[in-house]
Amino acid sequence: MSNTLRILLIIASFITTYWMLRKIRKSQIKIEDTIFWIAISILLLIISVFPNIASFFSRLMGIQSASNFVFLFMIFVLLLKVFMMSIKISQLDHKITSLVQEIAIRNKEFDDQLKKVLSTSENH
Amino acid sequence: MKILIIIPAYNEADNIERVINNLTNNFPEYDYIIVNDGSTDETSKICKANGFNLLNLPLNLGLAGAFQTGVKLAYEKDYEVIVQLDGDGQHDPKFIDKMLKMMNNTDSDIIIGSRFKEEKMSLGIRMIGSAIIKKAIKITTGCSITDPTSGMRLFNRKMMREFAYNINFGPEPDTISYLIRCGYKINEIQVKMNERVAGNSYFNLKRAMQYMINMVVSIVFIQWFREKVDEKCQIL
Repeated sequence: MSNTLRILLIIASFITTYWMLRKIRKSQIKIEDTIFWIAISILLLIISVFPNIASFFSRLMGIQSASNFVFLFMIFVLLLKVFMMSIKISQLDHKITSLVQEIAIRNKEFDDQLKKVLSTSENH
Repeated sequence: MKILIIIPAYNEADNIERVINNLTNNFPEYDYIIVNDGSTDETSKICKANGFNLLNLPLNLGLAGAFQTGVKLAYEKDYEVIVQLDGDGQHDPKFIDKMLKMMNNTDSDIIIGSRFKEEKMSLGIRMIGSAIIKKAIKITTGCSITDPTSGMRLFNRKMMREFAYNINFGPEPDTISYLIRCGYKINEIQVKMNERVAGNSYFNLKRAMQYMINMVVSIVFIQWFREKVDEKCQIL
């Protein structure tokens, strides 16, 4: 792994962590949603400080260079994250739909009852 | 003093009737509200049939969201104190009176009903998590909270405002550690909790692991960087 790549990874992980902490400070993100990004930053930091870890795994998997292993690893993790986010978005979408439906039904119930009360009071 | 007991309930059909009847028969001096967190069983039906005081969430928000709904209601209806109780009957309302007295005597913001303040912690898989969180709070704040995962807590009105409207204010140990750091007074009182009579706990192994990771990372690392509540108030 070249030194340039290592320095780049270190900078990137610090920026990611700083960014996430800033979002928490500004109350713009839930803490549990930042755990993934902070964990990834720490992992990248470890890999760039101890590049032997990456070399070991690249040899183990028959990948030519350590940096290729790092790229593959990151792509894999990000794919997983995107997959999980798609599931989450889909669930959120469904939740919004049921919320809107629920509000519409409640409103109708309320209107119906109001009409009933008004008509009975008119009859009296 | 106007007190509201908030009871978040998720699939507690087997327990809720017993819990609320005990509350209304033996402790009529307290108001209560059940927050049904989108249960998939008969919880809401049973509450309606019995005429219980009910907030029905159309979806499952999770404990933090359900509790926050109750706190918002309490804050808007001008309650002075809220007590969080579980819907499964683990918490005995007879301790509320003691908690109230302790709050008044020590001028505390939060009182936690602790299982282990005076009694030894029993060893078991379920207690390992609690012990780790305890240690994390001790190391980072210097304060000993003997039972940080206890779900029986009392909050004063100052705390209600924060819990009702802020993000990252779940009723969980990391919020407790954050509030200690902000300089709020948190005290504990020894309580005895009953075993769960029926139904399953919300926690399975996977959820418990996830919860532990979130709590430990949040307490040990993230809480250092959060803006203190009081600082924010000054800006506003």
